[in-house]
Amino acid sequence: MNIESRKKALRYMFQKVIEPLGYKFSPDEELVNFLLEQEVLLEQKHGIPYCPCQGLTKKRSEDMKIVCPCIPFHRKHFDMMKRCWCGLYVHKDVTNPDELKQIPLYKLKRAKNVS
Amino acid sequence: MLVEVAKTIELGPGGVKAVNVNEKEILLCNCDGNVYAVDRRCGHMNAPLDFGTLEGRYLTCPMHSVQFDVTTGEALNLPLYHYSGEETEDGRETKIIDNYPEHMGALFSHIKVCNIQTYPVRVEGDSIKIDI
Repeated sequence: MNIESRKKALRYMFQKVIEPLGYKFSPDEELVNFLLEQEVLLEQKHGIPYCPCQGLTKKRSEDMKIVCPCIPFHRKHFDMMKRCWCGLYVHKDVTNPDELKQIPLYKLKRAKNVS
Repeated sequence: MLVEVAKTIELGPGGVKAVNVNEKEILLCNCDGNVYAVDRRCGHMNAPLDFGTLEGRYLTCPMHSVQFDVTTGEALNLPLYHYSGEETEDGRETKIIDNYPEHMGALFSHIKVCNIQTYPVRVEGDSIKIDI
């Protein structure tokens, strides 16, 4: 299987899912290419393009929540960061993805409680 | 040899149509107005691809979700076998007693996924012709 062809196909299909959710691919093309390649490798190994930045738990019901694009399962968290956990997707209004940080959900919740 | 296989009105954008030409099963795909012709049978286990879905130029087999690029016939991923286990509340997977899905999965893993053949298409007026 050709990795580049598969990356193109995943990109095309993911675009249709993330667009109505208010997200777009990160403007950082290098990052997008790298992450998509990792997803293709995960798909070749497991049959499913899991998120490359989150660990598999071996519990199917949990692992299905990190099938890319996993935005619907982590919507609140990602909306707060304006990006998905990997940074593959960012909010449509984001122009500089480097400004966005990867913040664990518990820290976001803690910050919200304090302020 | 160019052979007329369908009329353009029979194949709307995003649609597929299976045709038989010279004992060959061919699938016509309309990708946003461009017509492509590929083998009707999947390059994995011969499932009829007209029962699958066409998204842009990507055709997904209804049997094991192998995807093909209809512009090149290239197989893009490995088959995805349907989940057959059940999960208990603590996350453990239970196995079906006779172990049949596991046995079949082991057999399927030896089946190679091949690319599918593409055929040149020409649209003349309201007629779709393929070179076969």
